[in-house]
Amino acid sequence: MAIAFATGLSLPFRAHVNVTTVALALLLAVLFAAIVFGSKPALAASVLAMLGFNFFFLPPYHTLTIADPQNWVALTAFFVTALAVGQLSARAKRRAEEAEAGRVENRRLYDELREAFDRASEAEAIKRSERLKSALLDAVTHDIRTPLTSIKASATLLLEDRDETENSAKLSEEEQHAILEVIEHSANRLDRFVEGIVDLARIEAGDISLHRNWGAVEDIIDAALAQAEPLTRHHNVRVSVAEELPVIRVDARTVTEVIYTLVDNASKYAPSGTTITIGACRASDDVVAISVADEGPGIPQHAREIAFEKFYRGDSNEIESGRIGIGMGLAIARGIVEAHGGHIWIEDGTSGRGARVVFTVPVGDEEDAQSKSASEARPSGRATSEHHM
Amino acid sequence: MESRKRILVVDDEQEITFVLRSGLTKHGYDVRVAGDGEAALDLFHAWTPDLVITDLAMPNMNGLQLCRRLRESSEVPIIILSVKGEEATKIEALDAGADDYLTKPFGMGELLARVRATLRRSPTTVGATAIEEGDFRIDLESREVQVKGKVVHLSPKEFDLLLFFVRNASKVLTHRTLLAKIWGGDYTDQTEYLRVFVRHLRKKIEPDPAKPRYILTEPWVGYRFVPEMQKPDH
Repeated sequence: MAIAFATGLSLPFRAHVNVTTVALALLLAVLFAAIVFGSKPALAASVLAMLGFNFFFLPPYHTLTIADPQNWVALTAFFVTALAVGQLSARAKRRAEEAEAGRVENRRLYDELREAFDRASEAEAIKRSERLKSALLDAVTHDIRTPLTSIKASATLLLEDRDETENSAKLSEEEQHAILEVIEHSANRLDRFVEGIVDLARIEAGDISLHRNWGAVEDIIDAALAQAEPLTRHHNVRVSVAEELPVIRVDARTVTEVIYTLVDNASKYAPSGTTITIGACRASDDVVAISVADEGPGIPQHAREIAFEKFYRGDSNEIESGRIGIGMGLAIARGIVEAHGGHIWIEDGTSGRGARVVFTVPVGDEEDAQSKSASEARPSGRATSEHHM
Repeated sequence: MESRKRILVVDDEQEITFVLRSGLTKHGYDVRVAGDGEAALDLFHAWTPDLVITDLAMPNMNGLQLCRRLRESSEVPIIILSVKGEEATKIEALDAGADDYLTKPFGMGELLARVRATLRRSPTTVGATAIEEGDFRIDLESREVQVKGKVVHLSPKEFDLLLFFVRNASKVLTHRTLLAKIWGGDYTDQTEYLRVFVRHLRKKIEPDPAKPRYILTEPWVGYRFVPEMQKPDH
């Protein structure tokens, strides 16, 4: 079609226009056909162009014969050129199309790959959270069932003893009393564990509300030690508080909890008869540091950071067996300390033996005290103080 | 008078060991306590108890590892204390040689019953050719089996299974242990096969195969053979 067009255009100018020009115009037409329509149409166009060129523009006109031998050469050259141009440009066009198709394909593959990767990492994340959930479940199972075991064994022992007729086989008064105390302690342990789980959940959710009050460091330490008395019966407890410690503005209940946890850990890891030292000193103008040191096996350097992770147990069998409760205690302690704006870390114990856990709390300032007493004047202040952590 | 049987209790929780010691001592046993695996092994070699009761979950050396270490040098009866959900470890411990298990929390009565049963676990041999245990009498030469005096005809494999049961009365036997002992190492996964076999055996020896009193099923774990009909309790 384009050939016809080009040919038709040129005809009237036959007399005035050079044969070469016509040839070139026809070549352009072939090129156009190749680019737009592809290689087969380009082929057809080449043939047509050649025939047309011969018929209309090479003498004798309107015949397909050629008189001048030079024109044969011209015609052949024209034909070959036309063919070549047609094919080459068609090929170029095809290449371009293929490249484009390739790019589209690549993009599609990339998208698929990314989707698959996202799915896989989601599955991995789900698996990880399932593992964490089952580890939490193990922790809950173990730390709830252990005191329950003591309670059930104690209760059934006492019950069975009541039916005992043989006097020599009966439990003595002291034994009975001791067993009843076991029941009480176990119930307290259960309560503490449940509280710990709730605290941990709140800390994880970023939902700690602290009730700060001015208090003496010694009082807080004494409260913690009083609670920890049953744990430290077999240890030597020393308290070393610096003189002239400022009063601090903290949530006494939770800071006591932190000290209790550290003492609890120390009593579990340190052998009987060894010393547990609680220290307090002024770390700077507005920071007080409290520490609990034991003479146990200590905590290796590489474990000192992850010890504060939820399920760390200090054992090669990570989550498998043993007490999970310890791991939770440190995680909760860290949550409480950091909520106060302090830090908690582990050091070597005195003279390299054992471990010392140190935490800092800001002393707190008058400004906070003023705003607090202001809020206490309002009735809503009283309502919020009912809200325990 | 028989000397008091010695029991070694291994658990890292001081309160439970206190209660266990009270209960066991009250019933005439001589009790010592170890707070971890290493201490248990030391005490075991020094004191040679007749029975070991150990918790599964302990720091450093857990109950499973302790079982293995004990079995390296002794056939002492072992009872493990496990928690529901510790199935896999419990089965491993039984495979490793523990005799029985108790699931926490348990009552004192359950513990005492297990202790009694485990300590009793040695069948009386009549001469060298027959074994008598509870309601069962097995003649090893003629391969004749009597249940409460009545002769029962068993196939060769059924006989092997029953003999193994009788020799390990009151002990919890895992599927794997039974399959390995009777059919060999290649068949230790064929739990279904074992189940079918037990069903056949029950039909022959149980007064009511639907309510077995001799071959008891331990769910998910295996079987326990009781040579004497127990009065139905808890």
